[in-house]
Amino acid sequence: MLELTGALLVLAAGAGFAGALSGLGGGAFLVPALVVLIGLPMQAAVGASLLAVVATSAGASVAFVRDGWTNLRVAIVLECATVTGAIAGAWFAGMVSPAFLEALFAVVMLQSAYFSMRKRDSDVLPESDPLCERLELGGEFPGDLGQPVRYGVSNLPGGSVIMVLAGVMSGLLGIGSGALKVIAMDQVMGLPLKVSSATSNFMIGVTAGAGALVFLSRGDVIPMVAAPVALGVTAGAIAGSKLLPYANVRWLRAGFVVILVLVAAEMGWRALGGV
Amino acid sequence: MVVRALSIDARMKPIMPVDPEEERILRFWTPVLLRVILVAAVVLMALGTSLTLLVARDHVDPASFRHPALVHMPLTAILSEVIEGDANAIATLGLMVLTLVPLVRVAFCFLLFLKERSGIFAAFTAYVLAGLIAGILLGRIG
Repeated sequence: MLELTGALLVLAAGAGFAGALSGLGGGAFLVPALVVLIGLPMQAAVGASLLAVVATSAGASVAFVRDGWTNLRVAIVLECATVTGAIAGAWFAGMVSPAFLEALFAVVMLQSAYFSMRKRDSDVLPESDPLCERLELGGEFPGDLGQPVRYGVSNLPGGSVIMVLAGVMSGLLGIGSGALKVIAMDQVMGLPLKVSSATSNFMIGVTAGAGALVFLSRGDVIPMVAAPVALGVTAGAIAGSKLLPYANVRWLRAGFVVILVLVAAEMGWRALGGV
Repeated sequence: MVVRALSIDARMKPIMPVDPEEERILRFWTPVLLRVILVAAVVLMALGTSLTLLVARDHVDPASFRHPALVHMPLTAILSEVIEGDANAIATLGLMVLTLVPLVRVAFCFLLFLKERSGIFAAFTAYVLAGLIAGILLGRIG
């Protein structure tokens, strides 16, 4: 028990650290670590990971909300889509085979690796489209000189469709689906990248929370595994976010792309019965 | 920075103008709620994990990962186990408190939007809240 708890704390701290540095969240590294290195069943790893994602999101989003980077109205509207997807995904996760989840995880890791390589800031919309204007979804973020910079929001239906998919992936695989959420807001709805990242971080807690509630009430969460995992991931994420301003983001991103491809290969191999 | 232009229908007026007071309350109280619940959950999970390391060495069988299904026990039963110092029950309670983070945050927004008479946003948050509660019920039935 001592060795198991210690291993869980260390692995989870490493996953949280890597997740914070890469911007992908701890789940992307935690689930494969729990499955491959600890030998947890996929469903139990997903349940523990979802709870850990709730903890890291709550910790990380506080400063972004307070400082005005998070678009709370966009988050609230899009959470309708992510929660719907997350509950469907978490419910479905209890019925599918671990091999299916592992194969899907491999595909999502490759998508995250691709997204990490082409991540870039997009243009800022000066005005919202009519629907988003009616909902007052546009906002302001602090500019380089501290002045407020206004931005608009568009294509709410398009963004919502991707958010449902992000929720399904979160509930099925125990990840925050931050990469998909940022794509939906930054590339589809025209929000600035940093606002998209901050809003995604804020939404991840509710998305993962929806899935975690299904797993917890179904009995797919092992408390003596999930508790040290949540603690380790939170500690690792705090350490990673402190180091991030001093890190070489270009090299980090390249390193994490390699890790994600390796993780995808391992999970894909397991799905094919290679273990 | 390139700026993309979008055509705006001038007749479309905001149906939910942002209330600065509502925005201020959200930006102040949301982080407070998140932090307080997270700290409570972390304290309980840390206590449960520490007790496991110190005394309880038989709750998890690493070979099968089987465990007492505490989450299916009534809350009062879990609390009585917590009072007795059961590590597994304390960790379970910590995880339950952790799941309050999204529930309380969404419920807070719902009540605020109701108070400020922001009908559409109250409806959005009510939907999310109903979804979270549905998740609990869905998990219970399998």
